[in-house]
Amino acid sequence: MTDPKLAKTAEAEAIERAKQGDEAAFEVLYNLHKRRVYSLCLRMVSNPAQAEDLAQEAFLQLFRKVGTFRGESAFSTWLHRMTVNVVLMNLRKKGLPVVSLEETIETDEESPKKELGGPDLKLAGSLDRLQLQRAIEKLPPGYKTIFVLHDVEGFEHNEIATMVGCSIGNSKSQLHKARLKLRDYLKFMRAEKAEKQ
Amino acid sequence: MTCSEVQRVLPEMMDGAPNNELQAHLEKCPACSDLVAELELISIEAHQLVESNEPSPRVWLAIAAELRSEGLIRDPEAKPGRPVLVPTERRRWNAWWLVPVAAALLVAASYVGMRKPATQIAEKPAVVAPANAPDLAAQSNQQKPAPQVAETKRPVPIDRSLDEPSVSAPVQVVSTEDRQFLDDVGQRSPRMKAEFESQLRAVNSYIRDAEAYLKQNPGDEDARQHVMAAYEQKAMLYQMALNHIQ
Repeated sequence: MTDPKLAKTAEAEAIERAKQGDEAAFEVLYNLHKRRVYSLCLRMVSNPAQAEDLAQEAFLQLFRKVGTFRGESAFSTWLHRMTVNVVLMNLRKKGLPVVSLEETIETDEESPKKELGGPDLKLAGSLDRLQLQRAIEKLPPGYKTIFVLHDVEGFEHNEIATMVGCSIGNSKSQLHKARLKLRDYLKFMRAEKAEKQ
Repeated sequence: MTCSEVQRVLPEMMDGAPNNELQAHLEKCPACSDLVAELELISIEAHQLVESNEPSPRVWLAIAAELRSEGLIRDPEAKPGRPVLVPTERRRWNAWWLVPVAAALLVAASYVGMRKPATQIAEKPAVVAPANAPDLAAQSNQQKPAPQVAETKRPVPIDRSLDEPSVSAPVQVVSTEDRQFLDDVGQRSPRMKAEFESQLRAVNSYIRDAEAYLKQNPGDEDARQHVMAAYEQKAMLYQMALNHIQ
């Protein structure tokens, strides 16, 4: 496993060389972060070709501004935010909902009374991550955005609210609904799998 | 606290500070307790999702080509004080930029023309000629007539012998202009020939990358501009060499 300190040093050196126009340095930075950037794009849009285009645009925007990077925040944080902005702008351009337009209204649909029969997720102790990835892909776009940003990528609600243009309360509500939907999807998948066995 | 009240406060409470009332209800209500535990499990597992997805190689190729066209990547073999292959400033694709390019093409083609019999010129494609260069040069309101350098609309195939050595790569159609130009430069300035050769290798590589990207994305306007930018740089290189040896 790479020593984090060494990795940081290598990244810092690559940034300085990239400022001088060194192609190899750009490639080092690209290879260090390409998986994270691409994975984020892919989770948000669920289309590999589109995710590649967005990843490309995110890196280009970052590299164009590398000369202004002062090291006050982590390079990865900077890139992370830029990627999210690129994806959100793309979603807005296509007229896709970035955040669900639903109000924070309590409905019977989310009450435990409507639980699906089937295996208890908690008793299993862990989740099938492949199933979880598939379930995330099935989420409606608005729920998916908030869930990916918060639970997968680790942004706080105040950051999400700023990025997507909603209130903190709406962000929390959307996240909760996304998790409830995922719970339903996962129980359904698990029940299906149990029936086949 | 009732189950309905738990449902109402959960969005706020899930990731926030512990709430005694909520905790008390969860201890007594298995349904709500299981719900909260499962939602927490989903959140924890989501954070662990491994980035196993990797973009295809064409993403880096496209990024590198764009960085070169914008002048953000510099030729490492360019010596200080000498003109670099890639301009340092980011350029927009402006029509006026093609005027010196068109002039460079005219000079290069004239130079080549002086060295060859007329029949050979008629048979072989001309030196690099972006398809729209004469049209755009005319649109820039220059007094000079549009240079007649484009014998054909298609760019000249790259001289693969100037690329990095590759045992497996077959030699493509040879551009005699590159080779002839190198020989002439070498006769006048052997030191210049080595430098020019390395820069020509780099720009041919850039052209190859840009053409490969255009081939994969034939409808992409940016890809076409990359190819034109690549040929533009080759024209600049010819002009710089000519300025040096004449």
